[in-house]
This record gives sequence, structure tokens and C-alpha cells, in this order.
Amino acid sequence: MIQKNINIKNAIEVRNLNFFYGKFQALKNINLNIIEKKITAFIGPSGCGKSTLLRVFNRMYDLYPEQKAEGEVKLYGDNILHPKKDLNLLRAKVGMIFQKPTPFPMSIYDNIAFGVRLYENLKKQDMDARVEWALKKAALWNEVKDKMKQSGLSLSGGQQQRLCIARGIAVKPTVLLLDEPTSALDPVSTSKIEELIYELKNDYTVIIVTHNMQQAARVSDSTAFMYLGDLIEFNETKKIFLKPDRKETEDYITGRFG
Amino acid sequence: MTEHIVKSYEEQLQNLTNTIVKMGGLAESQFTSSVNALLKRDEDLADKIAGKDLKMNEFDIKIESQVIDLIALRQPMGIDLRETVSSMRISSELERIGDLAKNIAKRARYLEFDIPVNIADSLKRAANVVEKNLKDVLDAYSKRDKDIAYRVWNSDLEIDKLVSFAMDELLKFMKSNKKNLELSTHLLFAAKHMERVGDHVSNISENVYFLVTGDQIKGTRSKGEKSASTKN
Repeated sequence: MIQKNINIKNAIEVRNLNFFYGKFQALKNINLNIIEKKITAFIGPSGCGKSTLLRVFNRMYDLYPEQKAEGEVKLYGDNILHPKKDLNLLRAKVGMIFQKPTPFPMSIYDNIAFGVRLYENLKKQDMDARVEWALKKAALWNEVKDKMKQSGLSLSGGQQQRLCIARGIAVKPTVLLLDEPTSALDPVSTSKIEELIYELKNDYTVIIVTHNMQQAARVSDSTAFMYLGDLIEFNETKKIFLKPDRKETEDYITGRFG
Repeated sequence: MTEHIVKSYEEQLQNLTNTIVKMGGLAESQFTSSVNALLKRDEDLADKIAGKDLKMNEFDIKIESQVIDLIALRQPMGIDLRETVSSMRISSELERIGDLAKNIAKRARYLEFDIPVNIADSLKRAANVVEKNLKDVLDAYSKRDKDIAYRVWNSDLEIDKLVSFAMDELLKFMKSNKKNLELSTHLLFAAKHMERVGDHVSNISENVYFLVTGDQIKGTRSKGEKSASTKN
């Protein structure tokens, strides 16, 4: 099992989670622990519920009235599904990066500062320092430090994605959710993002949804295989890709899935 | 096992398995023939074995190239990864068995007189167990059977004992008359080679076990009693 060591701390604990799009049940009684400062990957065929699960972690679904979650999702012990949860605060703690880079149509500097201003009132020089820190963390600083006033949209796809990661980090979250963060990027940009993800785990708990199994194998510590809304198997990544316990998992990772 | 969605991938893996099975079959016949060539001092048979060893080397090269293609082009995972990696290892074990068989057979040429019956019997007894284990481990590979693999792994001790026994007899024979020195020396080497074949068979069983279970074989085999000839 994943948690051999009792010193391991869970960032997120999911208990009996069910999720519905209207009448359609997209997640069925999910139970799992996301370990702090580790990278957890969710894999599975389209429609298996992996992105849905990711979106529960920052209550993204609240934007849509017909969607609802039941059960418990505890972020450091605090149930984030509670109806009175402050969602702005939650989303500052649990940042999300999407499949396609989504920079705001504003300068590189403001792309980072925008989110920070929502939560903190920083002096100019503190804000400058925060922007630089976030861009450095996202391994983008050297490429953009001389053009901070240029539009974020002027950057390449890979740079835009790193800008979005910098934007996510700038508000100092504890968890980063990455939904197919490299599927729109070329291999070099993909490698840079993967390197970045690896670096990020020193400070953050990272959860990544990916269709690219090799990517899950390369970057993650633990992997969850989902199918038709069920969590089929959750284990150390090495175990999942060398000798998974469940036949469904083996069929999927070896390309035998019918 | 369900088939791959990509048929050409399925075929590539199937080809790899088929090549291992063919190579294994040849290794079996090479070893059996080599013991016959030795015990019967059959030089023609020894020549044939040497000729066929080239085929063993070709198989090994072919398997290595199939494995590299699979890793480079398919990035196998799960059972496919285990299959690919263990095939490469099994292939080199079989190739070594081929070399040892050739070496056993080669010694038929240097035997000046017939092997005494008791020694021939002892060597044959050891060879029979090696042959059986080789056959069984190849069955275990074809059937993906971890239990057979484990049994083979665990019975290596028996081979060691039988070889030790044959070597002790050879030592006695050597000491009894100087004229026996050369023949005995060749047979000592042959006996040692049989034991080495047994070791390679045992290595194959470890790979089959890994292929099926994803785990290394656990537990310890007790080593056989050392004979005077196998000390050190």
C-alpha cells in the first residue's frame, strides 16, 4: 500500500465522494488520500471521472448549479465541500492550471499580480518581488524579465503555460491541480513543464490529470487509475506501471483496453 | 490476456515470444546432444553442435534487436515491459547455455578411451536433471507459470549434488592411475559446465517468475554440500 510510513502527511483526504452532473453519476464512492508534497497522477480513459475529481478539489463545479458533490473532501482536515466554505480562499489555496494556457489579456507582470491583488495588499516593491519569485519558481524569469510589460499573449504556448503556473503559484497555494497541462505543447515545452512539476513538489502538493501515461510514469509518485467513475487502483507509480494489481489497470496501461 | 488495440504491437510482442521459444528449443537439443556426443565420444555430433551454435548466437542478436525496437518505438509498460525485459535476459542465458553445450561436446574429441560406466552414469544422471529443468523452465515461460518456475529454481540444489558426486568419482578415477588424468580433466570441465547450465536455467526461472508476478523470487535455497572437487 501507499502509506507504509506513518509520518506521511495527507494534504487531501477524500471520503465516500459521489459526484453528479444532473442525474448522471460521474464519481462513485471515491476514497483516497493525496500525500503532501508528492505528485499524484490521475489516469484513465475519457469520461472516467479524473478531471471531475480534480475539479472537486477546488469546487470548480460550483459554477454550475446542476452539478453536486456528496461526501467529504478534507484539505488538511477541513472539509472543503461544506456549503459555507469561502470559495475564493479555497481557490487561492488550491490553484488550477488548465489544458490550454489561459493567460489574461494583460501584461506579463499583471498576469501574475492580478491574482495576488485579490488576496493581498502589497506595496509596489513587495509585489515586484512576488512577481519575480513566482516567475523564477515557474522557470520563466530569465525568458521574460526584460519584457514584463509585454502582453502575456505574446509568449509561446510553453511560456504561456509556465506563466499560468507562475500565476497559480503567486498566491502561495498549498495544492496545485494540473489538468492535462502539456497536451497542447511541443515535446521541449513539455519537458520544461515536467521539470518544473518535479521542482514544485518541494513546496507544493501536485495533482496532475493526464492522458499521456508515459508522462504520469515520468513525473508522479502515486498514480490513480479511474474507470467509469470508479477508482479502480491507486498505488505507487512504479507499481502501477510495472505490475498493477488489477487486470483493468494492466489492460489500460498496456493499450489492451477494449 | 486481452489483445492489444494496436495489432502490430501485439504481433511484435508475439514475435519476440516465438523467437524465445524457438531459441529455447534449440538450446534444449544442443545440450542433450552435447551430453550424448561426450558420453559416446561422437565427434561428428560434436561438429554439428558447433555448427548450430552459430544459430544460437543469431537468435540472441535477433532478440536483442527486437527488444530494443520495442523499447524505442513502443515504450512497453506493465506485462509488456516485463515481457520485453525478461526476454532480453532469458535470451542471454540461453546463449550461454549454447556456448556451454558446444564446449561440453568439444571435449568428445579429446577423450582417448571410453568413459567408465559408473562415471558415465553419474554424468548422465546430472545431465538428465539439467535437461528436465531446462525443459520445465521453457514450459513455464510458454505457459506463464510461476509455480513451475519456482520449482525449477528450487531444484538447482539437486543438480549441484549430482555434479559434486560425479566430480568426486572423477577425482578417485584420476588418482587411481596417471593414464586417467587427461580424460578425467576433460570430464571434470564437462561436469562443471553441466552445473553452469543448471545455474543459467535457474536464472531463467527467476526471470519467468518476475515476468509473471513482477516480483523477485524470495527465499533462500540451501547450497549443496561441497565435494572435494568443488571447494573454493
